[in-house]
This record gives sequence, C-alpha cells and structure tokens, in this order.
Amino acid sequence: MPDSFDFPPRGRPDDPLQDIQRILEQVRGRFAGTRPPRVNPWLVVAIVLALYALTGVYIVAPDERGIVLRFGRVVREADPGPGYHLPWPIEQVIKPSVTQIRKAEFGFRTVEVGPPARYRDVDPESLMLTGDENIVKLQFIVQFKVKSVPTGATDFLFNVRDQEDTVRDAAEAAMREVLGRNDIDNALTEGKEQVQHDAQALLQRILDQYGVGLEVVTVKLQDVGPPDQVSDAFKDVISAQQDKERLINEARGYANDVVPKARGQAAQLLNEAEAYSAAKVLDATGAAQRFSALQEEYEKAKEVTRQRLYLETMEQVLPRMNKIILDDVAGKQVVPYLPLDQVIKPKAAEAPGQ
Amino acid sequence: MDRRWISIFTLLAVLVVGWSTAAYTVPQWQQAIVVQLGEPVRTVQEPGLYFKLPFIQTVLYFDKRLLAYDASPREILTKDKQQLMIDNFSRWRIRDPLQFYRTVRNEAGGQSRLDDVIYSIVRENLGRHTLREIVNERRSEVMAEVTKESDARARAYGIEVTDVRIKRADLPTKNELNVFNRMRTERERLAKKFRAEGDEEARKIRSESDKEVQILTAEARKQADITRGQGDALAVKIFADAYGRDPEFYQLVRTLEAYRKSITDGTTLILSPKSEFFRYLAQLDRPKE
Repeated sequence: MPDSFDFPPRGRPDDPLQDIQRILEQVRGRFAGTRPPRVNPWLVVAIVLALYALTGVYIVAPDERGIVLRFGRVVREADPGPGYHLPWPIEQVIKPSVTQIRKAEFGFRTVEVGPPARYRDVDPESLMLTGDENIVKLQFIVQFKVKSVPTGATDFLFNVRDQEDTVRDAAEAAMREVLGRNDIDNALTEGKEQVQHDAQALLQRILDQYGVGLEVVTVKLQDVGPPDQVSDAFKDVISAQQDKERLINEARGYANDVVPKARGQAAQLLNEAEAYSAAKVLDATGAAQRFSALQEEYEKAKEVTRQRLYLETMEQVLPRMNKIILDDVAGKQVVPYLPLDQVIKPKAAEAPGQ
Repeated sequence: MDRRWISIFTLLAVLVVGWSTAAYTVPQWQQAIVVQLGEPVRTVQEPGLYFKLPFIQTVLYFDKRLLAYDASPREILTKDKQQLMIDNFSRWRIRDPLQFYRTVRNEAGGQSRLDDVIYSIVRENLGRHTLREIVNERRSEVMAEVTKESDARARAYGIEVTDVRIKRADLPTKNELNVFNRMRTERERLAKKFRAEGDEEARKIRSESDKEVQILTAEARKQADITRGQGDALAVKIFADAYGRDPEFYQLVRTLEAYRKSITDGTTLILSPKSEFFRYLAQLDRPKE
C-alpha cells in the first residue's frame, strides 16, 4: 500500500559518481607497483554510463501494472511485459498487483479458511435498522479489484490513502443506507436481490466519488435474518404458515374423503329405490297378468272353476291342521273347558273365516 | 594529471551536494510547502522536480490523497426525541497545505479539528430530523447537507471535506430491547393470524363438505322415496286395473291364497259346521250321511 511509498521506493543509497571513483581506485590499486595502467578514463566512464542506463530495464508481471514516475510525477502506465524507464533518480517504476480480487467481510470474519471453514460473528457490524425501524442481522461480503481502465492503478495508488478501510467504511454506509430504504419483510425475503444490487451501485458511486480507482465486483448477502434475540418468533411465523397449510390440506383431505363416499351412498340409495320400484311394478304386472289369465278361464265356467279352486285349496290346507269341529250347541258347553292355551300355542291360529 | 582528477572530483562533489540540498521532488501523492527560516514562502501541489535555496529553505510534505476520518460512535438526539448511536466517517483532503500548516500544523491536528467541526454539525443537523427521516427517507439528503456545511467550515483550516456519511445508526441498548420486544409481538401476532386463518379455512372446507354430504344423501333419499312411491303407485294401478274387472273373483282367489298362507302346520281350527267356511263342507257331507 502506498504508505510504504512515502519515500522514493527502490532508492539506491550509493551515488553513481562515487561508484566511478571507487572503481578507478580499485583499478589503480590492483596495478600498483607494476607499470602504470594505460586505461582510457573516458572508456571507463562510457562503460559505467552504459551499465547505469541498463538499470532502467524493468519487467511487469502478468498480474501487475507498471506505473512510471518521473521525479515523483506519474508519466505513464505500462502493461505487463518488459519496459524501459530512464534510470534513477529521473524515473522509477512501481508495480502493484491489479488483477487480484480482494474481499472484505462484514458482520463476520473467517477464522479459518478450512475446510471446514470457521466463522466468527461480529454483531455490531451486522445488526442494522430497516426502514420500518426493525432490526435485521445481515452479513455480507464485498469483492473489489483495481479498475481495469488506463488510469485505474494510478488512481488506486495515489488518490486515496487507506483504500481498504475506505472500501469498508463506504460499504457499511451503503448497505445501511439501502437497508434503511427497505422494510424488514422485504429485506428478509424477495428484496434480497434488490438490496444487493442497490448496495453495489451505491458503493460504486461512493468509491467513484472518492476516485479510489476500485471496481466493485460484487456485493453478496451471506446470511440475512432476524437478530438472535427474536429469531424464535420469526421461526414460529414460518411454522405458523406451515400449520396453516397443513390445516387446510387436512380439511381438503377430509372433503376429498367424505364427499365421494356420500356420492356413492346416494347412488346406492337411488339404485336400491329404482330396483324396488321396478321389482314392485314387475311383480304387480306378473300377478295381474296371472289373475287376468285365470279370470278369463273363470269367465268361461264360473261355478266349476270356483269349486275346483276351493277344493284344491282345501286339499292343501286341511291336511296340515288340527281340526275341531263343534256345532253351536256343543260349542257353548265345551269351549270353556278346552285347554285353550295348549290349543292356541301354535301361533297363527286365528280363525281364517271372514 | 592528479590535479585534473582532483578538480573533476571537486566539481562532482559540489554538484552532488548542490543537487541534494537544492533539488527536491514532490511525488504524485504529496504536496509541499517551502519554508524559509520558519516563514512559508511557497506551496507546491503539482508533482515533479523543484529547486529551492540550499540550507535556508526547507520543504514540508503533506499528503495529497483522500484521508480517512472515523469518529467513535456517539449518541445524538433526533427531533422526535429518539436516541440514536451514530457512527459516522468522513473523507477529507488537505486542500491548502499552507493554511493547513498555519492553523493545525499536521494531520493529527487536522483530525481533532475535524472531530469538533463534524460532530457539532452532525448533531445539529440530525437533531432537526426524525429518526425515520434519518434512517429511511432523507438520509442521503441530510448527509449531503452535513457534508456541505462541514466543508464550508473546514475550509478555514485548509481542509476540504469530500464526504460525511453515517456508517452505522443504531439504537442504544435500552431502545434496542424495546424494538426486539415490538418485533417479537409483531411476529407473534402474525403467527397467530396464520394459524387462525388456517383454522378458519379448514373449518370452512370441512363444514362445506359436511353440508354437501348431508344435502347429497338427503337428495338421494328424497329421490329414492319418490322412485319407490312411483313404483308402488304403478303396482297398485296395475293390480286395480286387473282386479277391478271382476272383484268377486279376486276376492275368491285372494281368500284362498290367504288360507294357504295363513294356515300352517299344527294350526288348530275350531269351527262351527254352520259357519260360512263350512257351507260347502256341510253340503258335501249331507249326501253321505
């Protein structure tokens, strides 16, 4: 982070001019006592200058961007690959990593990356007031990276100090502002997408206002729920909703059970009645036709038929019964002495006469 | 030859010392003021290479970037007399390093001055709004006003306030408990409502199906009785039609049939020979005697 760049980075403590002097002294010392050296000093100067010029070669790694400063002023940004800048102290290059996606956690911290990952809640960060003055517990993450526009890395390095803290502050403010515009039921249910989206847009707007050169990759809600203190009540609402569904389903089941049964019963009643009716009519028709047929014959020989029918009946009836025949006179004397209870015991002993 | 080298080295030494005391660079992220014997003489805000008088002028560097200000949460009172814990932060920069140096000297001084300015303005402004307005309806508007006022007042210290925002606005613990209680009762109310609605709906469905069942079976019974009656009536008509042609004969046939049916085994019959039943018996007997 730029705090470490407060002094010119990659500074070389030794002065190039002293280098030359030192080299010359070494050369002289090595040949001391032998014959004086025949070295052209200008050649030495040229070589030293060439080596000095070569210190301006630099390579920008694929995840980096090179920013070339001339006397502290940004003169250009360089893409990954080799490049050249004028040697120190005229120009220098800073190579921050820009492709890396950074992450900030709100309302919780990853204690161990795992697996299994372990987290720790940070309640003061996660409890937020909603627009309808309720409190929700909301944990979220923000992913961000250096903007991939030509001046992104410059903005990131030089416009804002404490960039990560700036993102944290702005993200918290943005999320709370967005949540303040939502009510609790919305925030807990179908409004989540919208909250994420709004918070990301607002955060980006704040960061752009600061010119921090960061792009918000995503704002993601992790865990959104009621605060622990009231989560039981919230859970109970959900189970109440399920109870409601259950009661209704049970009632529908009951309806589905009894109504078809009743329809079957009704059909049975109707069928029975129709059967009774049809049987009654058919029986009657049969009996009537039988009677008619008999009557036709009877018309032809009334007396004979009457007697025949009578006798046939008597033939059938008389053999089956005990017969006591009394004339009026005897009857008056005898009847009181008959063991009537024994005589009458077989039921249906009523006098068939009419 | 030695003399020539000496003069070269002397020249180089003078150049190096001269350069290092007279030249200075202001990097991209900084700005500077040049102080001559304690008296500021120049402000440098553009990065690059600059020169000054050696020894008598010194350079003081200030950060040019956006700086953080984060106050610890403080309690404020809203217009509707609600207490609110406000944790606000600000972003600011040193706009005029000379003014800044004269009035607050360094960043620590700037921070503490900002603390006074921003806190009083936040307190003042939020006190003019209700809790609902601060949390919900007019948050950004209120904070934009706070930013504007803070900026105007901080200009005196060479400071530009870019942004003041509420990071957190929480209720104090006591009020938080009230909110939790309210939330709980609200949820309990909802839960009751759902259960009662379920009961209501279930009862409706059950009673409606009971009703349907009763009506269905009663309707069926009615129809059955009608059908039976029609059958009976038709049967009666058929009988009447047939028997009506000769009631006398019907009586005979029917009587005989009744004898057959009602007189079962072991029936005891006490009859007078003079009875109607024996009219024929007597007649038939007589010739034998």
